[in-house]
Amino acid sequence: MSETDNKPNLNQKIQKLDESVEWFYGDDFNLENATDKYKETLKLAKEIEGDLESLKNEIEILSEDFSK
Amino acid sequence: MEPTLKFSPTELISAINQTLDYAYASVVLVGEVASFKVNQGKWVFFDIKDDESSVNCFMTLYQLKMPLEDGMKVMVRGVPKITKWGKFSFTVQAIQPVGEGSIKKAFELLKKKLAAEGLFDEAKKRPLPADISNIGVISSTQAAGYADFIKIINERWGGLKITTAHTQVQGLDAPAQIVRAIKYFNEHGGVDVIAILRGGGSADDLAAFNDEELVRAIAASKIPVITGIGHEVDESLADLAADVRASTPSNAAQMLTKDRAAEIRKIETTLDRVKQVIINNINNAIFENKNKVERITREWQNKVAALTENIKQKMKLLEALNPEKVLRQGYAILSGKVSPGSVVKITTFKQEINAEIKDVRDRQ
Repeated sequence: MSETDNKPNLNQKIQKLDESVEWFYGDDFNLENATDKYKETLKLAKEIEGDLESLKNEIEILSEDFSK
Repeated sequence: MEPTLKFSPTELISAINQTLDYAYASVVLVGEVASFKVNQGKWVFFDIKDDESSVNCFMTLYQLKMPLEDGMKVMVRGVPKITKWGKFSFTVQAIQPVGEGSIKKAFELLKKKLAAEGLFDEAKKRPLPADISNIGVISSTQAAGYADFIKIINERWGGLKITTAHTQVQGLDAPAQIVRAIKYFNEHGGVDVIAILRGGGSADDLAAFNDEELVRAIAASKIPVITGIGHEVDESLADLAADVRASTPSNAAQMLTKDRAAEIRKIETTLDRVKQVIINNINNAIFENKNKVERITREWQNKVAALTENIKQKMKLLEALNPEKVLRQGYAILSGKVSPGSVVKITTFKQEINAEIKDVRDRQ
């Protein structure tokens, strides 16, 4: 995995979302924390959806001349 | 007659070669191979001929990147020159089979050779990385296949860095250029996967992807390689050596990315499920609580009933011992000193009687 800075990339966010969702199915689940956890998960999900809709790909064409 | 120009043999050959160099710096020759032979394990000689003429060709074995046999139709790029012995020769720089039959023949021979070396072994193939952020693309930026790839990638996913090495994707120079691009990505790093792309074309167009050096470079790449070359039906040796083969450049784009619309749908479904998990847990908690209350109520009611029953039993016992009840049955209570001449009190249900005792005897 390549990472250019400390901000998580899209795939890392999706991975984090998967981990958050796992909590709801795991032994650590409790109703006291469920609301807060759900709010966090929802926020992350909306962030990912926003990223998915807005993120553009960066395309670079190398200047190297491969004919030589 | 005076000659216009006067040369020694060396000068003449040098002058002719200079002229050839100037006029035919690079020539592509197409014809049939004849008299193919390898000398001393390093020098390759053959003729390229047509119905009327034949050209002597020479190259090093190192430069020969395809199996060669007499009768094959090939395209060679090289430089014509006169040797110091005054013989015409064509020094070959690159060679490629042309025509369906020759391409197929060369393909099968090379496939057999490289398969024997294990270059196509399934066990050596690596899966595509799970998290792809940087894609190294090797293609011609003018090719339709490349445009399709970029279009599909942009439609499907975002946030990717795509670094493109522009190379020829057909012709004699294509294999060497693609090999250089593979080496470039392996040396510079920074990409998670290399995608080698070329849209559909004739067997001649796609022949570059059966080049031995290219196939070896793909197999040796430290970075996983995906190929998207030609159409579904086209199979090249590059495809066989790659870690993953996509049927087309568009298919490669699909294999390298998730679909953003599907991902959004998946997230929405996941959130709905999580909501349902919470609701189910709340319902379970309510149900359990209700059960607890019912159980406690039931236990309390049972205890009250048991106590009530106990009291009832005691009341019955007390009732049974009540003297009034005995008197009602016709019995009487005698109180006072029991001896002849004394007066005692006799209590019946309805009366109190004072009576004098006449006689006292023990019962038999």
